Amino acid sequence: MIRVALYLNQFFGGVGGEDKADLAPRLTEEIVGPAKAFRAALGDRGEVVATVICGDNYFAENIEGASKEVKELLAPYRPDLLFAGPVFNAGRYGIACGAVCKMAQTDLKIPAITGMYRENPGVDLYRKDVYIVETGDTARSMADVVKRMTTLAWKLLAGDKMGNPADEGYFSRGWLTNEASEKTGAERAVDMLLHKLRGEPFESEVPRPAYDRVKPAPAIKDLRSATIALVTDGGLVPKGNPDKIEVTAATRFGIYDITDKDRLDPNGYDVNHGGYDSVLVRQDPNRLVPVDVMRELEKKGVIGTLHNRFYSTTGLACIVEVMKKIGQAIAEDLKREGVSGVLLTST
Amino acid sequence: MKLQLDRVIIRDVRFGATTAIHDGALHVDRSALQYLLLQDKRFAAVDIELAHPGEKCRITKVLDVIEPRAKTSEGDEDFPGAVGGQVPAGRGSTCVLEGAAVVLSDYREKVESGRSMDPNGEIIDMSGPGAEAGRYGKTHNVVLLPTPAEGVNTHEYLAASKIAGLMAAAYLARAGKGMTPDRTETLELPSLMATDKALAGLPRVVYIFQILTTQFDPIPGEPVLYGMNVPGMVPTLLHPNEVIDGALTSPLPALNVQTYQVQNHPIIKELYARHGKDLFFAGVIASTAPNNMAEIERMSNMAATMARYVVGAQGAILTKTGGGAPELTMARTAQRCERLGIRTTLAVLHMAADVRGEVTLFSMPEVDAIVSLGVPFTRVTLPAVERVIGRQHAVPGAPPIDGEIVRTENGVRGIHCQLGSSRIRAVKY
Repeated sequence: MIRVALYLNQFFGGVGGEDKADLAPRLTEEIVGPAKAFRAALGDRGEVVATVICGDNYFAENIEGASKEVKELLAPYRPDLLFAGPVFNAGRYGIACGAVCKMAQTDLKIPAITGMYRENPGVDLYRKDVYIVETGDTARSMADVVKRMTTLAWKLLAGDKMGNPADEGYFSRGWLTNEASEKTGAERAVDMLLHKLRGEPFESEVPRPAYDRVKPAPAIKDLRSATIALVTDGGLVPKGNPDKIEVTAATRFGIYDITDKDRLDPNGYDVNHGGYDSVLVRQDPNRLVPVDVMRELEKKGVIGTLHNRFYSTTGLACIVEVMKKIGQAIAEDLKREGVSGVLLTST
Repeated sequence: MKLQLDRVIIRDVRFGATTAIHDGALHVDRSALQYLLLQDKRFAAVDIELAHPGEKCRITKVLDVIEPRAKTSEGDEDFPGAVGGQVPAGRGSTCVLEGAAVVLSDYREKVESGRSMDPNGEIIDMSGPGAEAGRYGKTHNVVLLPTPAEGVNTHEYLAASKIAGLMAAAYLARAGKGMTPDRTETLELPSLMATDKALAGLPRVVYIFQILTTQFDPIPGEPVLYGMNVPGMVPTLLHPNEVIDGALTSPLPALNVQTYQVQNHPIIKELYARHGKDLFFAGVIASTAPNNMAEIERMSNMAATMARYVVGAQGAILTKTGGGAPELTMARTAQRCERLGIRTTLAVLHMAADVRGEVTLFSMPEVDAIVSLGVPFTRVTLPAVERVIGRQHAVPGAPPIDGEIVRTENGVRGIHCQLGSSRIRAVKY
């Protein structure tokens, strides 16, 4: 018998409405609200052993702390599986269910599933971490949604290969996997073009990415008093690659001292990057990280000072989220060091 | 323009006293082929080995793969400009040794620092999962292993190797001359001025083919288009027959596109199949992927203008070459086409894929029809082999190259194809 834990908000848990939104997590062994539907869907293969009910505001105001409290309440029951919600279109509740599922997976090491309406903010926040079954925007379809969440749960517990998002009815988690198609890429390309030319419906196999817009920082008012740093994603590293920056899909960056250096000596550096022809940079690393020119500008007083360390990583087939973190970490260090501007060289 | 491909099916390859085809078996006179290739003074030696489908064999450091083909019509030349003299490609008749391939392997002792992340380079497996997934584990392969002469530099070596591969391909296919082909294929298109009633109502479709990228240094002397390397080329209108009949090769490092795929171009094949029924195949615009924005814009505008106002296309298919960066030129060209009223579809092998996020480097509302050719970074485990053809370099901490090894799929030649010959597509889970 599979031991199932459930997470509900104050409303679905039957405690009260908005007036009870500040309720701290509490545990019941009774079958309340959607637990009935889950009991029916689980049949004799599983039982709901514990339900945690928590106020939406309480959770939203302290996501980390509240997740921990939920974990501590549930751990003694040793659940094999967690369901959260389903949420439908309740925003704060969606975020809570996403967070609780993520906690269950990482801390309790059990599969966790929730269900949400596509516009719920919890979808974008947690779809990459957890399986979220797509639902309508109201609780009318509760029984059906619970059934679909349960079907998915059996697959996860059995370790079966998960079907694709469209067939299984969950929000894509963003994992790219290769599959065999009936037709070759060339045949599909001509098919798609003909549909388009005839004004027939067609479906792109690749959704358009939604990249962030980066707002540029205001211009430096007085370069003569500015500290300028050099940052690159061209993979320049001291000989031997001391920080072991990966040659593709980098997860690391390095900070390298250039105090008292008027230029970078080619004997001291290597290029750790396979995405461009790096012969010229190996011959003269200053053409990627222009220490020589910047020192001249420093001497002439065009800039205040050149920051005495440069930052380097390898920008090749990288993961956007990881690169965001690397960028933030570099930016924090630059800020701490009082750098006012950056010359960023890419390849 | 009319081209006849006479296909002779090859079911075996072995060494023999003379180069000839008997009962579907290609016999190769090893010393005659060596003698021919050694006329190029850039080589000190050229070893030749054979690899058979099903054999527990791994070929290392594969540079390119070429299908054996020789012209059989009067006045025509093999791989014009590269091997033969400057005559037009794409007309007359050509003998094709279907099921055979010339495999070029980098046989230098020294490992070149630079692009390749593994000193054993891209491989071909003749059995196991690598052969099942890859195209060249299924062909009977004649492997060329050229050793450079003293003082020959990297560029000279690579250019010479490419030419040697083309020469060998033509040499072998001449053995099929005068034989009754197993299959004959005729490729003919009317001129763009054609006013046949049957074609009148059909949409004109052009194929915009990115043939090279300048993200890597082009190799001087490497034959790419009619014998010349063409990094500065502007968009050029070609007849599809020229593309498949030896005018064009895949420039090294031939990332996920080998010359074999160009000779058997899947999009050209498909557009031919639909010509006269669903569309009017209005030709090929060869273009490149420059490495800076000004040239990318220039290339995109010129290609789109040519498609719209010279060819009169209503639709365009676009593909890319190289790594991730050339996606931008392809997408920008498609966007320019769309703005001129040409409907476009792109095919993308996700060289720039963030497996946990976005799949394309570009995000343009007009570019709304994209076919996925898969992610090249999926890992594949390849079992140990009994025989290795090519140089073997030890990698500290890694198993020997004849042992069980793990490679990303793009490390095995012929699994992925940027021109769309595979059935692989990426699905987001």
